[in-house]
Amino acid sequence: MAPLQKRAWYGLVIGLVFAVALLLVFITRGDVTTFDEDLGFRMIVYALWVGGLVAYLIVMNLTLRKPGQIDERDRLILGRAPKIQLLAVIFSLAAWSIALTEVYWDQGQIPVIFATLMLISTLVVSTLAQSVGILIGYWRIARYG
Amino acid sequence: MANAMIKNRIRRLRFDHGEMTQEELASCVGCTRQTIIALEQGKYVPSITLAFQIARAFGVTLEEVFQYEEQKR
Repeated sequence: MAPLQKRAWYGLVIGLVFAVALLLVFITRGDVTTFDEDLGFRMIVYALWVGGLVAYLIVMNLTLRKPGQIDERDRLILGRAPKIQLLAVIFSLAAWSIALTEVYWDQGQIPVIFATLMLISTLVVSTLAQSVGILIGYWRIARYG
Repeated sequence: MANAMIKNRIRRLRFDHGEMTQEELASCVGCTRQTIIALEQGKYVPSITLAFQIARAFGVTLEEVFQYEEQKR
């Protein structure tokens, strides 16, 4: 397995662990209302997603900065991954937009806290999608050349 | 309609060069072993730079390593 492919698997696992951890915090500590009112709860969520993002960046940088770890084929795959990332981010934002519009249509306004939640979820989706894009790239090259 | 295909003799040339390992060739040309595997399996077409580096590692011309074939469909 190529070093970049290995790192993409690590990135995917780290991303999924932090996404599940974020969901668990929401389930166990309360819902969006709690997030809105409880500063401690917000701090836990901020720490989780910022921590997850930093861990992911460290994992990816360790691969990209080491000499001889990636070559032109890896760079080609890495260069194609943002297509998957972009699609995932667009779908994520579309899902948020449709859901919030439908739920809060009658009130005519959306709680401000959703801006932060949208940012957190979009970053999680984006980092996960990068790993998925890299893994799809390796799979496609192995299968179709 | 013509369908282009790049074939190579890397596996054969490695064998002819004292059974050079994929790892040795990879470190010689500055790529990963996985790329050499993909090249040998015909799953990846290298850049012109890497192609020249591979030919140079074996001390042969580019066309002795890579062959361009046009297949009519």
